[in-house]
Amino acid sequence: MNDKNTTVSPAIPDMLTVAHAPHVRHKDSTTRIMLDVVIALIPTLAWGTCVFGLRAFLVCLVCCVSCVGFEALAQWLMHRPITVLDLSALVTGLLLGLNLPSTAPWWMAVVGSAFAIVVVKQIFGGLGHNVFNPALAARVFLCLAWPAQMTFYTAPYDRLAFSAVDAVASATPLASLKHAAFPEASLVDMLLGRCGGTIGEVSALLLLVGGIYLLIRKVITWHIPVSFIGTVAVLTFIFPQTGGRLDFMLYEILAGGLMIGAFFMATDYVTSPVTSRGRLLFGFGCGALVVFIRYFGGYPEGVSFAILIMNSLVWYIERVTRPRVFGEVKKKHGK
Amino acid sequence: MNPSFKGGIHINEHKDTAGCAIERMPAPSVVKISLAQHSGAPLRATVKAGDHVNIGQPIAESDASIWCPVHASVSGTVKAVERIADAGRAAPVEAVVIENDFLDTLDPSLTPPPSVDELTGEQIVERVRAAGIVGMGGAVFPSYAKIKNSTGKAKTLLVNAAECEPYITADHRLMLERPEEFLGGIDLLMRAMGVDNTIIAIEDNKKDAAALLREHMGERKNVEVRLLKTKYPQGEKSQIIYALTRREPTHGVRLADIGFVIFNAGTCAAIYRACTRGEALTERIVTVSGDCIGTPKNVLARIGTPIKEVIEFCGGLRETPKKVINGGPMMGAAQWNMEGVITKATSALLFLSDREEHRNALPPTCIRCGRCVAHCPMHLMPNYLAKLAQAKKYAECEDYHIGDCMECGTCSYVCPGHMEIIQYIRVAKGALRARR
Repeated sequence: MNDKNTTVSPAIPDMLTVAHAPHVRHKDSTTRIMLDVVIALIPTLAWGTCVFGLRAFLVCLVCCVSCVGFEALAQWLMHRPITVLDLSALVTGLLLGLNLPSTAPWWMAVVGSAFAIVVVKQIFGGLGHNVFNPALAARVFLCLAWPAQMTFYTAPYDRLAFSAVDAVASATPLASLKHAAFPEASLVDMLLGRCGGTIGEVSALLLLVGGIYLLIRKVITWHIPVSFIGTVAVLTFIFPQTGGRLDFMLYEILAGGLMIGAFFMATDYVTSPVTSRGRLLFGFGCGALVVFIRYFGGYPEGVSFAILIMNSLVWYIERVTRPRVFGEVKKKHGK
Repeated sequence: MNPSFKGGIHINEHKDTAGCAIERMPAPSVVKISLAQHSGAPLRATVKAGDHVNIGQPIAESDASIWCPVHASVSGTVKAVERIADAGRAAPVEAVVIENDFLDTLDPSLTPPPSVDELTGEQIVERVRAAGIVGMGGAVFPSYAKIKNSTGKAKTLLVNAAECEPYITADHRLMLERPEEFLGGIDLLMRAMGVDNTIIAIEDNKKDAAALLREHMGERKNVEVRLLKTKYPQGEKSQIIYALTRREPTHGVRLADIGFVIFNAGTCAAIYRACTRGEALTERIVTVSGDCIGTPKNVLARIGTPIKEVIEFCGGLRETPKKVINGGPMMGAAQWNMEGVITKATSALLFLSDREEHRNALPPTCIRCGRCVAHCPMHLMPNYLAKLAQAKKYAECEDYHIGDCMECGTCSYVCPGHMEIIQYIRVAKGALRARR
């Protein structure tokens, strides 16, 4: 403050901002949170590109660009403020891309993005108002509409040309498990992601790294991933479909979309409960449904359906898990 | 780990003035003394333009059942009784404008007692009332009434020296520089209310104050200094009781009925000065801080000192502030303009830019992250309250216990979608009040 006497003090303003307290805020913003999710997914995207080739990266890129584009277009058409800078559409696009096989046709990536953003998100009211996770709902829509293309997985390191005409189909670990047989890939391969599957689901390890990043950044809480994966672990350990219950449990945890689902899809703020107990219940429900569908359903994988079903119950879960207010005396027949 | 409560959040403390000794500010040439300095209806002026007043002379009265006087804080001539802008109130309030004659003539009405030790409880209550002492943490409830209401009921006196709001260090400096006044006030309060024991609650970012008070404890028994975790809003009454006793005050039950009474640190010192020296509450310690003020300071300023004089005393402005806050940044009220004055409730004057509001261009949106729910110290669901209030479903707000919200601002602070949650809650509360 040596220059105190040399600088001219700014004029005292006539008018001040009158606003309600608080007058300071935490520096986190929606944009920063969404950016953190993107950062957490970068290792997964990099690995997907490594095992499935540059085409996998381009599929994700097409999804991201189309999601952001459709968001802006839908908001412009609906006379809403254009909020693509909150990066939520980018996250949706990235997650959708990571949920597609590397063979996905370009047009399918665009159609999926349109469905996610326009039908699932904007028609319901935009960010914060959608009932279902947009990326997952779009994935399920694509699975139902074009089942052949959506389940056309290639073997790892079978890096495709951009046209994907040379693709050779390969069974995913979950398809093997569905037929009560251990897959060809070892558990280490499964952990590292040297197996077939969608672009973003194969490397359990890198998804875990991304999930831990989100936990450290306090973007997500532990409740949903722990109760989700924990429930799958416990159920598959108690009721194995083949011999070797520990191996079976580990395969079930590492295979398919469980990791990306538990850390990145089920934890989507908008479509998961806001209460801690609600999040535990939500994760438990997701886990139980995943095992149920994998064991008894027609599909080898149930993560998408499980999360979407639980999405629809969020309102009710929040109602029954409302925290006890500080100083509140429990009524016998409380609401 | 020092005790705390569930919820709340650690906020950037900004206690830049913790090392700034209290500086007595020269009396200004004109003071404007608000007649609305305690909770309840404003007082009525008993002086008029042209009257001469002395320091400590009562200048207003009321017919209300609970009220306490305000006093002239300088000696001199009453220039006018006019309306001034008052932070946190919807309409301007009456104020007595006094021109200082710089003689500092004391009013004979308030005199020290012959012997402090012989003051009875009733005499203490009367002196506290006559001195115009109110809760100086910001609640501004007349202290004499609180003493009366708690006498015979309260078993434990909690002295709230948590000072959990960022920036403010007024109580911290008070404890460091005037421990005898502070502890003496506690003795008087214990005597007046017949309270058996006292807990002084201090956040653990003020360990020096806690150590100093322990040194000065002397003969006192049943007075205990306890450190609490530094976390906002540690100084709220329910949270402080829970942190110290693990008891949850049931909603709607008065603290005295469960054996507690809480006084703020600054109030204790004011009570001591009123009872030993016969001083009226005509000055207070104010933390002047924020990123726009030249030299942050703790000042001892006369009640009614205009903000402009405070700016000048604190080295002018560093840059043009967006907001001037009367109180802390979490619960304080934004001044309308620079014509405001220091009142009994002004624990701090903060000159803030909007940098720490981290504003962005996106429209406020709830993304249902659940942070407000996780951090609400009352364990409410602020996101539900805000959305219900937005939809004008006020009756449903009551199902979500809107009445328990004490407006600490934690939900708005943590909201990444920048929703003005507290503002919506206040709108709903206002609408519900109007219906009754």
